[in-house]
Amino acid sequence: MVTTREKSGVAGRPVGAVVKGRLQQLLAFASLIVIFAFFSVASPFFFTYGNFTAILFSTVVIGTLAIGTTFVIITGGIDLSIGTGMALCAVMSGVFIVNLDLPLAVGLVATVLFGGLMGLVNGINIALLKIPPFIATLAMMLVAEGLALVVSGSAPIYFSEEPAYTKISTGNLIPGVDFPNAVIVLIVVAVIAGVLLTKTVLGRYTYSIGSNEEATALSGIDVRKWKIAVYAFAGLFIGLAGIMISARLGSAQPATGMGYELQAIAAVVIGGTSLSGGKGSIVGTLIGALIISTLNNGLQIMSIPQEWQNVILGCVILVAVYTDILRKKEA
Amino acid sequence: MLTETATPRTLPLLEVEGVDKSFPGVRALSDMRLELRAGEVLALVGENGAGKSTLMKLLSGIHTPDTGTFTLDGEPLTIAGPKHATELGISIIHQEFNLVPHLTVAQNVFIGREPRRARLLLDERRLVRDARELIGRLHLPLDPNAVVGDLTVANQQMVEIAKALSYDPKVLIMDEPTAALNDAEVATLHELIRRFVRPETGVIYISHRMEEIRRIADRVTVIRDGQYVDTVDVAATSTREIIAMMVGRTLADHAGPQGVRADREVLLEVTGLSTKALLKDVTFDLRAGEILGFAGLMGAGRTETARAIVGADPVDGGVLTLRGSRIRIGHPADAVRHGIGYLSEDRKRYGLLLDKDVKANVTLGALARRFTTAGFVHDRAARAAASEYVGSLRIKTPSVDQTTKFLSGGNQQKVVIAKWLARDCDILIFDEPTRGIDVGAKEEIYQLLNELAEQGKSIIMISSELPEVLRMSHRVVVMSEGRVTRILDAAEASQETIMHYATLRPDENVEDAKELGLDPVETGAAEDEEGKA
Amino acid sequence: MKMQKVGAVVAGAALALSLTACGAEGGGAGGGGGQPYIAIVSKGFQHQFWQAVKQGAEEEASKQGARVTFVGPPTEADVEEQINMLTNDIAKSPDALGFAALDSQAAEPLLQQAKSQDIPVIAFDSGVDSDVPLTTVSTDNKAAAAEAAKHMAELVGGSGKVAMVVHDQTSQSGTQRRDGFLEWMEQNAPDIEVLDPQYGGGDQLESANITKSIVSSNPDLKGIYASNEGSAIGVIKGVQESGKQGLQLVGFDSGKAQVDAIRNGTMAGAVTQDPVNMGRQLVIAAMKAINGEDLPETVDTGFKWYDQTNVDDPEIAAVLYD
Repeated sequence: MVTTREKSGVAGRPVGAVVKGRLQQLLAFASLIVIFAFFSVASPFFFTYGNFTAILFSTVVIGTLAIGTTFVIITGGIDLSIGTGMALCAVMSGVFIVNLDLPLAVGLVATVLFGGLMGLVNGINIALLKIPPFIATLAMMLVAEGLALVVSGSAPIYFSEEPAYTKISTGNLIPGVDFPNAVIVLIVVAVIAGVLLTKTVLGRYTYSIGSNEEATALSGIDVRKWKIAVYAFAGLFIGLAGIMISARLGSAQPATGMGYELQAIAAVVIGGTSLSGGKGSIVGTLIGALIISTLNNGLQIMSIPQEWQNVILGCVILVAVYTDILRKKEA
Repeated sequence: MLTETATPRTLPLLEVEGVDKSFPGVRALSDMRLELRAGEVLALVGENGAGKSTLMKLLSGIHTPDTGTFTLDGEPLTIAGPKHATELGISIIHQEFNLVPHLTVAQNVFIGREPRRARLLLDERRLVRDARELIGRLHLPLDPNAVVGDLTVANQQMVEIAKALSYDPKVLIMDEPTAALNDAEVATLHELIRRFVRPETGVIYISHRMEEIRRIADRVTVIRDGQYVDTVDVAATSTREIIAMMVGRTLADHAGPQGVRADREVLLEVTGLSTKALLKDVTFDLRAGEILGFAGLMGAGRTETARAIVGADPVDGGVLTLRGSRIRIGHPADAVRHGIGYLSEDRKRYGLLLDKDVKANVTLGALARRFTTAGFVHDRAARAAASEYVGSLRIKTPSVDQTTKFLSGGNQQKVVIAKWLARDCDILIFDEPTRGIDVGAKEEIYQLLNELAEQGKSIIMISSELPEVLRMSHRVVVMSEGRVTRILDAAEASQETIMHYATLRPDENVEDAKELGLDPVETGAAEDEEGKA
Repeated sequence: MKMQKVGAVVAGAALALSLTACGAEGGGAGGGGGQPYIAIVSKGFQHQFWQAVKQGAEEEASKQGARVTFVGPPTEADVEEQINMLTNDIAKSPDALGFAALDSQAAEPLLQQAKSQDIPVIAFDSGVDSDVPLTTVSTDNKAAAAEAAKHMAELVGGSGKVAMVVHDQTSQSGTQRRDGFLEWMEQNAPDIEVLDPQYGGGDQLESANITKSIVSSNPDLKGIYASNEGSAIGVIKGVQESGKQGLQLVGFDSGKAQVDAIRNGTMAGAVTQDPVNMGRQLVIAAMKAINGEDLPETVDTGFKWYDQTNVDDPEIAAVLYD
C-alpha cells in the first residue's frame, strides 16, 4: 500500500476493508491450524511428511469439485450433479482412452470438455428453462448416475494398459521428492480458478449475479448467458475430478460419486462462501476442503471409532457457518 | 384544531432524553431529544442518515441506547424488543411492510396471537370475525379474507395500520407512511390518523413530504446528523424554514423546467406498446436532450411502460424506433446495447449490488466493454473511472471501496446514475428518481438531471410527485389504466391538468379517450379554466 | 469485537475436540502399550455383516491380547474413500493389516507400501488380486452357492422354474454366488429351468421391485434364490407384496429380517457365511503373521445351511448375526 494513496480516501483502498474481506478466510485458516496442532499433539503418526502428503492427496478430488462449485454457489445456485457427474466423467475418460484408444492428451481434453458439456446442460436448464438449480442438478445427478452404469456396462474400466494415465495422479513430477502430481494439479487449478474469479469478467459477473440477479440483468448484463457460462465452467472441474479419481484408482468406478457433492458443498461452506450467493473465495474453499480431509485423516489416525467421525464433522460445519454469521452481524 | 383539544402542554406522553447510540465506527445519535404530547401529531423530519431510523429502532426495542432515558406517561421505560414495545403501548409502522404476502388480511393482522381453540387449533372463524370488527371500527376498505399479496400497496399499508392499531397503542409511530400512496389514499390515511388521535394518544409521523406535514402535524421536530435541532409549531413556521433547519442551509428557490425547446429531434419513438398485463397501445416520442415526465396514479402503467421498453417484462405488441430505425429489445442487455438505461424506483432491489462497493456498482454495466482485455478486468482503470464519477456526480462516500448499502439514498441513486453514464447511455429512464431521498439531496438530483439533459442525454422521468414533474419536465406524458391519456407541453402542464388526465377512466370506447388525447389545445385549456374556477 | 470472533473459533474447535475425546474413550482404543496392533480396513461398516466381522475380530483380539481398529466406507462403491482409509491406517504403522479390497488394482500401490514397511497384510472376505497378502480369509462362495442350489432343487422337487436375484455382477462374491448356483443346477438338476439372473445391487427396495416383476411375468415360478442379505430381504418383501403363495425362497447370509422369515416359514432356508468366524480367523492369521508363523494360502471360514428345523441350534445360532 502506498501511503500517499491512502490519504486521498477516494482512490486508495483502506486497509481495514482488505482485512475484513479476508477475515473469514483467516478464521478458517486458524481453525485448520488448531485442528492440525491438536492432532499433532494427540498422535505421533500425524505430524509426518508422509501423512501431510496423504492429507493433501485425499483433498484432491473433493477440492477440485469444490473449486468448480464455488463459482456456482457464489451465483446463488447449487450443483448436486457434481458427484455422480464425476463418476460419469471418469467412465467417459475410460471410454475415450481405453475403449476408443485415443491419445492420452486428446482423451483428457475430451473428458474435461465432457464435464463442461454436462455443466452446459445444467446451465441451459437453469437459465433458459428457468428450472430451479436444485431441481435441475438433482435431475442431472440421477441422469449421470444412470449413464455411468449404462456406458460402462456396470463394470469398472481399468487403465492397466495406460501407465501414463495413473501417473497424472500418483506420479511424482518433481524428481526424487515424494509429492503426488495430483496435489500439484489441484494447486494449479486452484490458482487458475482464483485468478478467474477475482480478475476476470466471468468472476465479477459471478459475484454480481449472486449479489443481486435482477439488478445485474437490468444493468444490461445477459444474466442467462453468464449463468450458463458459470455452470459450464464448473462442469470442467467435474471432468477434471473424474480424471483425478480414476487416475488415482487406476480404474473408472461407475457406481462411485454419490455423496461427493455434499462433501464438496460442505467444503465450500466451511470456507466462508455464502449459500445465498454474492460472496466466497477459492482460498476459503481450499481451506474448507483441507479441514474436512484433515479431520477425516486425524480422527482415523487417532483411532476414533468411525461412528463418531461424522458426528464431529457435522459439528465442525455448524461451528464454521455460525462463525460466519457472527462475522456478518458485526460487519 | 387538534392542538386546542390537547391536554396541557406540560404533560408529555412520550419523552426521549439524552439518548446516545453508537455503532462500530459510527455515532448514530448523540444527546437525542424528543417530546410527544398527548393528543398531538408530531412530525419528525431530517435528511436520510439524520438518525430517524435509529431512533425508531430504539423505540421499537430492536436496539438499546448506550445512554439516555425513555419515559411513557411519566414512567421510565426499558424496551426489550418489538413485542415488548407493543405491549407497552408503542406501535410502529415501518416503511418496509412486515406482512406475509401469502396470508389473508385477518391472518396478518393477528399474526403471532391467533385465537385458538383447545390451545392448539386455530380458530379461523373468530380470527375473521375479530378482523372484520376491527376493520369496521377503523372504517377501512378491506376484506379480512383477501390475500395480502393481491392487495394494492395502499391497501397493504392499511393492513399494517390495522395491525398496529389492533394493539390499542398509546403511541403510534409511522415511518414514511405515504411513500407509496396517491393523493386520495393519503387523504384517507390522514383521516384515519385524526380519528386515532384522542386526548390520551399521540402520533409520531415521519415524512419527507412537507405539504403532508403541514396538513396533518401540529408540531415538527427536526433532527440533523444524529442530533436534535429544534421543535416548532407547524402553523407558525414556513416550509422553507423547516427545510433550512433540516439541511442546515437555505435552498434556492426554483423555477420550472430548464431548456425547454420545441425544435429538438426525435430520438426514440414508441408506437402501440402493449402488454398482456396492463399496457394498451402506449405511443409517445422522446427527443434528444429532453426531460419527458411521466405522470399518473399508482397502477397507471408508468413503471410497466419503462420495464417493457427495456425488455425487463415481456411485450405483447408495439414498435420501438431509435434514430429512425426499428429496434428489437427482448432482454435488458439489448436495451443497454442501444444505450437505454433504466433506473428503477426500487434501487435496492433492482438497481444496486448492495453488498458490493461503489466501484463494482459503477463499473458493472460497462465492465465487459470498457474495463477488460481478453476477459481480464483492469482494476486500476475501473477504479479511476469510478473515482471520476464519484467526483463529477458529487457522490459522498469515503472511498470507491465503500459498500453501497452504507451510502445514503441520494448517493446510492447517484451511484446508479454513474453506472449508466459509464455505459454511455443516451436515454435514461428514471423511475421515481427522488423516492426516499431527503430534501437537500433531491435538489442535487434535479440539478444533475438538468445537467444531463443539457449534455444531450434524453431523460424519461416517472414521478408520483406532481411538483417534481412540473418543475423538471419539458413535456408530460399522462397515463391512466395502462393507456396514455394525454401528452402535455410544459406550458399547459399544471397540477390540475395532470390530475384530470391521470384520473380519466378510458371508457369501453377506446376512441373517446383517443379523441380527448388527440385534441390538445381545447381540452387542455378548458381544463385549465375549470381548475382556476 | 475481534476477541469475540476468535472466541467463537476457539469454542468451536474445543467442541469438536471434546467430541473427539469422547469418541476416543468410547472406542477404548486409547492406550496401546505393548499390545500388537492390527488395523482392519473393511469393505463396509454399517452393514450387519461387517459389524459381525468386527465383533469376531474384537473378541479374538481381546482373547489374544491384541488391539484392533475397524474402519470401512459407507457403501461398497466408495473406492476412493477406502483408499484414503487404507492410507491413514498404514500411516499408523500397525503390526498387521487386515484388508478387504473393493478394487484390488486401486489398492496395489498402498499394499506395496505396506510390504516395504514390513507390515504383514491379510486379505479377507474376497481375495485381493495382489501378491502382497500372506493369506486370504474368506468364505468359499461358490461352494456355499452350490449348497443353496442343492437345497433349492430338493425344495422344488427337482423340476420347474427357478429365478435368481443377485446383488452384484462385478464383485467376486456376486459372480461366485451366481455361478456356484448356476453350475450346480446345470450339472445336477437338468429339469430345473433357471431364469436369467436379475441384479438388485443388494438394495432391499430394488430387489423387491425386481422380485415382483419376476413373479408377475412367470406365473409358473416355483422358487427364488437371493444372493445376499439385502437381496433376500427384498425377495421376501416382493413376494409378500405380490401375494403369491407357495414359492420356495432360498437366501444367503443372515440378519434379523431373514432369520425371522425362516422362523415363520416365509423363507425355506438360507446359506450363511460365518462372519464372526471370519473376524476371528482374520485376527488369528494376523497374529500368526506377526509372530512369523507360516500361513496357508487360504483360510476357509465356512458356511452353514439353516432352516426352520435348525435355526435355534446353538451351533447355527452362533454364526447368525442380527
